[in-house]
Amino acid sequence: MEDDRKVIVACKAGDVNRYRYLVDKYKKRAYYTALMFTHNPEDALDLSQEAFYRAYKALNRFDEKGEFYGWFYRILKNVCLNFIRQKNKEKGMVLADNDTLKIDIDDMPDRIFEKNENNRILWAAINHLNKDHKEIIMLKEFNNCSYKEIAESLNIPIGSVMSRLYYARKRLLTLLEGLYD
Amino acid sequence: MTNSALDCKKAHILMMGRIDDELDDGQNRLLDEHLKSCNACQQQWNTFVHLKERTGNMAFKSLPDMYWDDYWQKVYNRIERGISWIFVSVGAIILIVYGFYESLSQFFNDPTVPIIIKLGIGILGVGFIILFVSIVREKLMVRKVDKYRSVKR
Repeated sequence: MEDDRKVIVACKAGDVNRYRYLVDKYKKRAYYTALMFTHNPEDALDLSQEAFYRAYKALNRFDEKGEFYGWFYRILKNVCLNFIRQKNKEKGMVLADNDTLKIDIDDMPDRIFEKNENNRILWAAINHLNKDHKEIIMLKEFNNCSYKEIAESLNIPIGSVMSRLYYARKRLLTLLEGLYD
Repeated sequence: MTNSALDCKKAHILMMGRIDDELDDGQNRLLDEHLKSCNACQQQWNTFVHLKERTGNMAFKSLPDMYWDDYWQKVYNRIERGISWIFVSVGAIILIVYGFYESLSQFFNDPTVPIIIKLGIGILGVGFIILFVSIVREKLMVRKVDKYRSVKR
């Protein structure tokens, strides 16, 4: 079993083929994260691959003592937000908040999750969370990130990851109660 | 109110760690003691466990295997093309600079061209170079202090 750090050191030394290990390890997470931003499988595939390419180009700036996925997530998020912004610009729409997972409240999750009632209700509740809560729920529940990775992704201490998760889940429970009432 | 060494606020935070399997043995023990003596936290714990089960059941729509099979190849192609572009760009810059140098040398060494034209072209060239350096310097300075530099405008 290879270790991320050893692979990154090898990649920095110019061994591009070792980068495959990181791509294979994180490609599904990256794709599904991009899918949650774009709601389109083709775009998600393309953007996640673009993010891996950009991460490779910037690898020399990455400190291998950190968590690769946390650092990579920030690149992926920027790639996706830029894409959405560009797309909206073409459509003549302007995003009110330029740093958010902008999702339509009425948007059905059918393009992201398997179609069922549980998914529909949960997705509706998640879409009512504020952007910080929504993002941390996505990282933990759908990307299965460790607290270390979340801390690196959001640039916050692990203690803040735990407290933010607590408030996000508590809010989600309240929203779910509201949706069932 | 509880008799445990942990207050409810801290217990809430530890509940997250427990649910996500991030606690060590000591923290698990502290939380267990608290949950045994605090009904409110025990109730909240149960709701979090239920929520975790529900979110855990949200399955992503799967992508056909063929997309995963050539995923690496597509990333590799981008890396390879990126490297090729660097070579192409460096080669093109060398040739363009050489071409400019040759044509300017010929121009300035040509005795049939009046001195006033040479002077005009020379000053124009120096002006363009200063303008170019100024723009590059400005871009680099902005880049250093721009916290949104990684976001394309």
